[in-house]
Amino acid sequence: MSRIYGDPIEVWTRDDDPARFVWRDRLYVVHRILDHWVTSREWWKISENDPGERRFWRVEASPAKGVGTYELRFDTASGGWLLLRAWD
Amino acid sequence: MFAHLHVASAYSLRYGSAFPAELARRAAEHGMDVLALTDRDGMYGAVKHVQACADAGIAPVVGVDLALREAGDGLALRGPDGGGTGPGRAREEERITVLARTGGWAHLCRLTTAAHYAGERGEPRVTRDLVAPHAGELLVMLGPRSDVGRALAARRDEQARALLAAWRAEVPHLVVEVVDQYGYREANAALRMLTLAESMGVPAVLTNAVRHLDPGDYRVGNVLDAARKLVPLHPRHLEHSASHAYLKSGAEMERVASRICEGDRDRARRLLAATGEAAGQCVIDPLEVLALRGGPERLLLPEVDGDPVPLLRGLCEDGLAVRGLDRSAAARDRLASELHVIERKQLSGYFITVSGITDMIRRMGVRCAIRGSGAGSLVNYLIRIGEVNPLDHGLLMERFLSDGRVGLPDIDVDVESARRLDCYQAILDRYGEDRVACVSMMETYRARSAIRDVGAAMGLPPHEVDVIAKAFPHIRARQIGSALTDLPELRDSGLNDRALETLFRLAEKLDGLPRHIALHPCGVLVGNSGLRDRTPVERSLLDFPMSQYDKEDVEEAGLLKLDVLGVRMQSSIAYALSEVRRVDGQEIDIDRGVPQDDRATYDMISTGRTLGCFQIESPGQRELVAKLEPRTMHDLIVDISLFRPGPVNSDMITPYLEARHGWREARYPHPRLRAALAETNGVVVFHEQVLRIVDTMTGCGLSRAEEVRRSLSTPEGRAGIMAWWEAEVLPEFDRETTDRAWGVLDAFGAFGFCKAHAAAFALPTYQSAWLKRHHTAAFFAGLLTHEPGMYPNRVILDEARQCGVAVLPLDVNHSGRHWLVERHQAPPVEGPEEPRDPGDGPSERRFGEGYGLRVPFSSVKGISEAEVERMVAGRPYTSLADFWERARPSRPVAERIVQVGGVDALYGLHTGAPRWRPGELTRRDLLAQVGALDRASATGVTGGRRGRAGFRSRYAAARPAPAEAAPVVQIPMEFTERVEPGELPEMTEAEAVEAELEILGMDVSRHVIGFHRELLDAIGVVRSDELLRMRNGAEILVAGVKVATQTPAIRSGQRIVFTTLDDSTGPVDLTFFESVQGHCAATIFGSWLMVAKGVVRRVGARAVSLRALDCWNLVELDEAWRTEGMDKVWAMLGVARRDTGGVGGRPIQYGNGFRLSPYADNGAPPGMRLPPAKLWHASPGSSGPPPSAPRRRTTDVTP
Repeated sequence: MSRIYGDPIEVWTRDDDPARFVWRDRLYVVHRILDHWVTSREWWKISENDPGERRFWRVEASPAKGVGTYELRFDTASGGWLLLRAWD
Repeated sequence: MFAHLHVASAYSLRYGSAFPAELARRAAEHGMDVLALTDRDGMYGAVKHVQACADAGIAPVVGVDLALREAGDGLALRGPDGGGTGPGRAREEERITVLARTGGWAHLCRLTTAAHYAGERGEPRVTRDLVAPHAGELLVMLGPRSDVGRALAARRDEQARALLAAWRAEVPHLVVEVVDQYGYREANAALRMLTLAESMGVPAVLTNAVRHLDPGDYRVGNVLDAARKLVPLHPRHLEHSASHAYLKSGAEMERVASRICEGDRDRARRLLAATGEAAGQCVIDPLEVLALRGGPERLLLPEVDGDPVPLLRGLCEDGLAVRGLDRSAAARDRLASELHVIERKQLSGYFITVSGITDMIRRMGVRCAIRGSGAGSLVNYLIRIGEVNPLDHGLLMERFLSDGRVGLPDIDVDVESARRLDCYQAILDRYGEDRVACVSMMETYRARSAIRDVGAAMGLPPHEVDVIAKAFPHIRARQIGSALTDLPELRDSGLNDRALETLFRLAEKLDGLPRHIALHPCGVLVGNSGLRDRTPVERSLLDFPMSQYDKEDVEEAGLLKLDVLGVRMQSSIAYALSEVRRVDGQEIDIDRGVPQDDRATYDMISTGRTLGCFQIESPGQRELVAKLEPRTMHDLIVDISLFRPGPVNSDMITPYLEARHGWREARYPHPRLRAALAETNGVVVFHEQVLRIVDTMTGCGLSRAEEVRRSLSTPEGRAGIMAWWEAEVLPEFDRETTDRAWGVLDAFGAFGFCKAHAAAFALPTYQSAWLKRHHTAAFFAGLLTHEPGMYPNRVILDEARQCGVAVLPLDVNHSGRHWLVERHQAPPVEGPEEPRDPGDGPSERRFGEGYGLRVPFSSVKGISEAEVERMVAGRPYTSLADFWERARPSRPVAERIVQVGGVDALYGLHTGAPRWRPGELTRRDLLAQVGALDRASATGVTGGRRGRAGFRSRYAAARPAPAEAAPVVQIPMEFTERVEPGELPEMTEAEAVEAELEILGMDVSRHVIGFHRELLDAIGVVRSDELLRMRNGAEILVAGVKVATQTPAIRSGQRIVFTTLDDSTGPVDLTFFESVQGHCAATIFGSWLMVAKGVVRRVGARAVSLRALDCWNLVELDEAWRTEGMDKVWAMLGVARRDTGGVGGRPIQYGNGFRLSPYADNGAPPGMRLPPAKLWHASPGSSGPPPSAPRRRTTDVTP
């Protein structure tokens, strides 16, 4: 059962891929990248400098105990990360 | 290292965004040693790619990305495609990529040609069967967009397997292409593709299906997608992962491989290795394609019966005798040296072929003249390719063809524009489709076309997009933003609005990208049966075989071409000659039978009355010929050459004119240069003189001098030549001479003019002037029919009137398909604005008297070709009903013909006479009858009656002329209403002229300006024919119809607007400098009838031009005058204009100091060329269809 959150999170990356992230004051370590894809938004409606690109990762990650699946989103223009969904 | 095997450049029309050179450079930067170019649907960029790779030091691979036609074998399927599918998305076409294996260029060309001939025009399609015959030399890649890929994406694995097996059975070199652009689930689809390939033993390669150079370019790609698919820019229609379709580095591609293989390193390595191996099989040798590089040129020569060398020698020998040059030692020497070069370059066959073609064209009765540098060759003269003897004019062969010049000679011939395609067809018929192809050219996005396509993609209403696009001058797309702030007429237009910001921003992104392919206006390739091994050929719009190469590619590929340019003036001359023959029974041999020193002709030219003449009709040229006062053909050659940016740029006109008129002595930089410069009084005018100066001062020879001249056109070349010049000038020339000479060479750069060009132009210039002077009416008939010049027909018509030629209204019994000349002894109706005699004898001004010009059927708006044909064939007619029955015009056309007086003569209606007398027939009555006739035909009562002759107007049948008999118009069937004559009021004069302008596009019965005479007299407007009496510096008002607007390149780097007004007594030339454009530009470009204030500038004995200070729309003044009176008009004229700022934009600065306004010289400026729907304030009862979009006129291409 997945739940949608959309919380801003802090992410550390390795080779452009997320390696660890902090969500709700807990540190998660990424074990495996399940999927990664890229979308572009309606950039013509946004500003000149926003390429409108969004990168998504679906990862297996774990805090202290148990492993869950999480979907992270990176917004190229703002440089911000969100935790979109979690299956746990 | 990774090799990209699937790369689309900007030559994938409306798909890719990067140019081959950029891609090759980037690949080299990434350390790649191979790069493929696989443009969609053709090899438009292939030659450029091979060149770019050779320059970047990498090996080229060339392929084509082709659409698959659904095979009828039941294996095809329908279903949603792979990643990024949205709801409601149309099924996309299936595509495969075909690469030429090493040595397989010819097969790729042939397959591309076959694909184009198999599909609809512009929609090439291949099938497995079409690929199979060439498959041995090709490599076929089946990727995610292929039938196999789509089947797999739709989870129809069995079908995918069957399709792949079918391909494998027909194609020996087959690979599966896996692509992952980080779309949702795309890696998974790629993996399944890879697995399929592995399971069937087909090699799999990795590509990135490249469309762009940089990640951010995908936005351009989105706009292109929308423009191509004709869909709005909306996520539903876009590929979500497009931002990854760029030329990735090797490391990035390794990451892609690893991602697809889910980290299985061996598998990823195998995938990359197979990619490299496929690339290795397909590398081509650049020299195989680039015929001019690496040693002797490898040209594709036309086949000639027998050995071409003795054949050409024989032809030249015969030519010497025919031209009467067989005793001339100079001619023999020149011939020997020319033949030496031609034979060394193995071009004898080319000359023989071209000579055969020009002979054939002339035998078809088509006028044919040489143009361009080819006129400088004696061989061309001797074998009758051209009629200009280079020895007469001191023309040099080196400018055309020389030992030192790499590249191919270009012979250009002008033929009648109306017969150009006939000539193409004849060449095709003679040499066969396999050996001949036209050259193509890429039309690229400019401001207007970009706005149109983006506007459509954004879903704006078409008519709004049209208005917005037309508001811009012909500038580059990337100048849109700056033009909006720089140009006064746009600044105040309201376009500079936030709502349109996105439109303009997107349109700018398309700048310079190829938009569509078109037939080059003149290039024809003449090769041998191997032509289609070297170039792919597609069908042009008119179904001519057309090479996919542009003219640079063609040369680079070693294909010989002949330029056959359609020139409207040649058609006009031919038409004029045929009218002289028809009307006067006189046969004129204009090429040989006319004296070239006719005094009357030169008198006419010297007074600047050259409107309509070839090359010398523009306002600037009229000013120049009046100052120069040409007396010989050589003067004309100089005149044509002087009116070019080069001479204007280095200010050669003034010194030349001063020396010519003896106001100062001719000066020569050095006595040794006198020989080269004497013909132009010490001023450098021609390229040929530049060559002679360089040769004289360095002793390098003319051939080297030509190379030097060519190098001057680029900044790098210029720097190199500067050093060369310092080193090579012979010691006898002092410092000052050396510097002065350099100054001239530098200023002249590549701009100047080739004397051979000018000599070739001067002939038709003189011929047109001679015809204007001696066969005036016929000459104008030619101009009006073929429209060769820069002025709209109504100006030409007015000029004809001023030459004394009567303009005869449309008449169903006398009009023809085209403009016809009629003998017309009665003097023309004296209109109120008859030109006043300016001092010349009437015969001097009115040399065309005695003839009239009859308005043709074809000038009626909306008339069809078939209608014209029936109308001409059915003459004579006895009544309107008769005309209706037999010519069967559509109702609107019939109404228009009545409105402009086409049946006046049948019913004795006269223009000018008081035409509304109670009880007498009027045009409006006739108009009503057209309606009745139409209703009668439509009811079906008379279904069998239409086409039945016999019902005649009683009046017309009985007596042909007298006006007193009250005509009763009979309707040919009893059920229709009778029309009582005089029921409806007659059209007023103004309405008649308005109808003429609307229907014929010109004022036939009266000049439009006549309707404003009272106002113009009241404000004291000076007429064109009074200008000569104005003192220099006087400030005056002028008025007229705007007939021409130009923004040419000029010395100061300003944008200057030259406008010509026509006020029925002649042209008035106005110059608007940037300082006044702030308040004038909108009026200049936006009005049709104009009043202007200007300062008189006397420019010669017989020429005056005005420096404009301000201008007003005459229609607005008229409105004010009628509603608020004279005071208001004076207030409008007297108002001090607020300065809204001039023209912005930084001039383009050239190396030699020449500055050019970024808005100069960009073709026809925007604005009104045809009268608007309403000309003056009131026209109650005027009926007619809504105004149509202005007809666009194409201008002839000048070199």
